[in-house]
Amino acid sequence: MTDKSRAITTEELWARLFAAKNAGNFMAEYSENYELPSFSDYITDLCKSRGEKPEQVIRRANIESSYGHRLFAGGRNPSRDTVIQFAYGFELDVNETQQLLVIARHAGLHPKIKRDSVIAYCLHNKFTLMETQQFLYDNSLPLIGGGRLG
Amino acid sequence: MDSVYRESQINDVGLEELLASYDESAYPEVFLEKYFLTECLAERNGTDTFAAVDASGSKYIAKCYDRSLWDMEEGSILRNLQGAGLPRFVESFSNERMLVNVREYIEGVSLDVYAAENDLSRENITEICMKLCDILSGLHHRTEPVIHRDIKPQNVIISSDDDGTILNVTLIDFDIARKYKSGSDTDTRFFGTQAYAAPEQYGFSQTDARADIYSFGVLLRYLLTGSTRKNDKITVYKPLAAVIDKCTAFSPDDRYSDIDQVKKALSQANPQAQKRRALKLTACCVLALMLVSFAGFRIYKAVTWTPFNDDAIPAFTSDEERVSDAVSYMNEKYDTDLFGGTQQTLDGTEGADSVATIGLLKTVLIDVYGLDADYVNAPNTDIPNESEDFFFPWTWADDQTIGRGTMVYVAVKVHDPAIVADWSSLKDDNGEYPGERVALEFAEETGIMTGANRPDDITVGEMALILANAERVFDAAAEAEAKRVVN
Repeated sequence: MTDKSRAITTEELWARLFAAKNAGNFMAEYSENYELPSFSDYITDLCKSRGEKPEQVIRRANIESSYGHRLFAGGRNPSRDTVIQFAYGFELDVNETQQLLVIARHAGLHPKIKRDSVIAYCLHNKFTLMETQQFLYDNSLPLIGGGRLG
Repeated sequence: MDSVYRESQINDVGLEELLASYDESAYPEVFLEKYFLTECLAERNGTDTFAAVDASGSKYIAKCYDRSLWDMEEGSILRNLQGAGLPRFVESFSNERMLVNVREYIEGVSLDVYAAENDLSRENITEICMKLCDILSGLHHRTEPVIHRDIKPQNVIISSDDDGTILNVTLIDFDIARKYKSGSDTDTRFFGTQAYAAPEQYGFSQTDARADIYSFGVLLRYLLTGSTRKNDKITVYKPLAAVIDKCTAFSPDDRYSDIDQVKKALSQANPQAQKRRALKLTACCVLALMLVSFAGFRIYKAVTWTPFNDDAIPAFTSDEERVSDAVSYMNEKYDTDLFGGTQQTLDGTEGADSVATIGLLKTVLIDVYGLDADYVNAPNTDIPNESEDFFFPWTWADDQTIGRGTMVYVAVKVHDPAIVADWSSLKDDNGEYPGERVALEFAEETGIMTGANRPDDITVGEMALILANAERVFDAAAEAEAKRVVN
């Protein structure tokens, strides 16, 4: 690969990956004055608007089925890693993932966190959850959901 | 495995390259060797807050201060602050660019999130705030007092069990806490969070513990109303509204001078505590009445009454003797014939046995108790009059009859509106008006209903009895209080 074939530089990629970094801050301030939808309502609506069934999302997110359905039904907020799994389940882009994390009241993906950067990169490039896990594993970073590869 | 290393269709920068451009040289090396950063929780004013794990998987919070922006000693304030309600300081690292403080991770959610997710009752809020008072008291009463200066729900962590029972309240974020040095004139920089910061934190004068008391008041208001700003449209339970107002007075001199006073005020404003106070009041009444009768004063016959038990008189029939005594007592005392007797009452009915109406009750409030006519006569609309401008939170036509609960509410409110401060016009889960329920509880404890047994459509005589009983209770309490002051 030659330099000429490059579409963008690494700086531009960083900027592109975390363009919506401040959206999280905005949402956090927003939520002080207005109520955020609950995580379960949000993902239920997301399913409807995308014409998908929860089963499909839960399967792609590699979440245990009964736990996944409980999250759709409401109750406690899931952990940050589970929310990231849902991002893969819905095939969200970085921006949409940041929003989903805010809805679940977790910190957004952040460029100062190496693991977050890898995840953002993978979401940006529409990699699957398994592909992302492989990247994390190869770079000695904790896997999403804390599980082991294979 | 190699199959996943496909180049993206969107850009040509590979992940390896991306990671190679990842720069963490600013952080102390030893820190990065020991801790792995998992989340960036906040990023502001040259301070990054990270969640981190060590090799054993234990979770910590690491605060990284940019040394070009922050001038602080290593370990800073938190190192010297150990105690209940404060996070445990673990260790600190530094290099020429950055200072890193590692502290224990507190399992739980911040108070703003907790409040949004749980329907907090007044008791819950009071409980949380009293715990916060204890933490602040520990800080303010050190030999060298520490002022937190950024008290807000986001800096209070609530740890609860699965049932939602609160286990612990922890105050975090000591970034801008400073030790109070008497003699320095003003703080040179603005610190704090705008909505919660006391006016003097904008540079009017040196801040002391009362700046925390101000922010505490805003926090209490936020929990009760959902807003950091005063909103007259939202009714706050009056005793707590008084605490908020005093905490958030513009001038520090007008605030509570010590957080312990705030805690005391909160415990007194707590409905549970109010119940205990009502019991104390009853005890005072009994004592005062005994003293008075022994002293031989001619006082109202009610003093010597003993309560009837339920078997003695039919449940819904009032005690005739007490009613007639009350009627003559009230008519004599106020030089009126509103309470029946031999003459016709103003609303056209005859005698103490006739059924009382709202119209008569309003006349009594204005003529006997001297209340303002505009205050008593709410406009006759379909909507509730939930405002301090009107005596009745509900609207009735003048010819409507009166229930005993309403009468008790009026009898209590006319003497001490604070007791029935929660006078929402919405009925609660038991189908009762909150204000009326509070009044009835108070009346049962103090004997205001003694002898008045008819639940609905009460007579003019029963109206007089309830009012007379209430006078007896409140007069005795006032007398007991006067004696206490003298002694």
